[in-house]
Amino acid sequence: MDFKRQFREGLLNKNPVLAQLLGMCSTLAITTSLFNGLGMGIAVTVILICSNVLISALRKVIPNQIRIAAYIVIIAGFVTMVDLLLQAFIPALADSLGVFIPLIVVNCIILGRAEAFASKNTVAASAVDGLCQGIGYTVALVVMCVIRELLGSGTFGGGLLNGGEGIRIIPEAYPAMQMVMPVGGFITMGLVVAGFQWLLRRQANQKKGAGK
Amino acid sequence: MKKENNAMYILRLAATLLAICAVVALALAGVNAITKDRIAAVKAEKTQKAISEVLPGCVAVKEVAFTDHTGLVKKVYQSDMSLSSNADVAFGYAVEVVPAGFNGEITMMVGVSPDGKVLGISIISHAETAGLGAVAAANSAKGQTFRDSFIGLTAPVAPSKDGGQADTITGATITSRAICDGVNAALACIGNMG
Repeated sequence: MDFKRQFREGLLNKNPVLAQLLGMCSTLAITTSLFNGLGMGIAVTVILICSNVLISALRKVIPNQIRIAAYIVIIAGFVTMVDLLLQAFIPALADSLGVFIPLIVVNCIILGRAEAFASKNTVAASAVDGLCQGIGYTVALVVMCVIRELLGSGTFGGGLLNGGEGIRIIPEAYPAMQMVMPVGGFITMGLVVAGFQWLLRRQANQKKGAGK
Repeated sequence: MKKENNAMYILRLAATLLAICAVVALALAGVNAITKDRIAAVKAEKTQKAISEVLPGCVAVKEVAFTDHTGLVKKVYQSDMSLSSNADVAFGYAVEVVPAGFNGEITMMVGVSPDGKVLGISIISHAETAGLGAVAAANSAKGQTFRDSFIGLTAPVAPSKDGGQADTITGATITSRAICDGVNAALACIGNMG
């Protein structure tokens, strides 16, 4: 088990959002305030670790022909549990994320990791994979949130800091509201992915150059 | 014969899936049992908080029957004077309405005095756009100013953009109109009570 490599892959080379382009729907929809991004990231990470562990533990029991059905039942179970627990104990977050919590069931990061990793690796490695991929997802969400919130609402830390108002950076009259609308989501997403790929490519080229 | 076509094998597949479903269902039943009361309490608390916001000083309410022609009214509460010893508390109705907002239903409470004036509004749940329509429900100075702009208005209520007296949230005309629809439905409903 190579924790360092898995962490690097989750955060950079195989970042679920920025490199694998998985989980786009939730990424575009909820990245309008820091509170949403962090909350969604943590919820997905918890579900990803749980489902990876259970699917990995059952990888020899689940026959190949029904594996997708079995994975979805397990994932839906964990998502519903998290949904109920959030509604009961963190109602503010449940209100804010609304329908996107139940929709984690069809977030392809979770099924993707179940199929690509947990079904072929040990329980411990799968748990680490869930954690690393979850962190990668959370970081990508937070980056998107910070950009869109700053340009769209002119604040930082909305829903969390300064009594939920966020710290105002751009005066109220100036922010471009389109940035918190869907169109702003697509524009930000495209630019962030492009910038991220450029960084990765540059790093890879430098390594190649150094190896000569 | 291939393994996949064997009847016993197919049965085993079904049994495995059934077992997984059963275990997951059992676990969900467990979580539901733990959280059910808590979720109901959170919901009741939200409703209670909304009522006390739109009927300031009100200590107890009772649900009353109502006639509604708009289809937006869910429940009507009347402040229960028999349980209050304080004569100064506002007497009035709290009407739960669900107008259609920009992204689905907005559940809100409207306080109405017996003579048909808005005493206050409070938003219980919504799915409006963060930073735009969500301002209507936000616990911020901007949100408070918007909600307070309804106090004292009588039917018909309209946002300032449509020439009315209630505020319009910048960039969220549809949300502002929806909330006015809800307020109008509440006022009409109390009007029907005669």
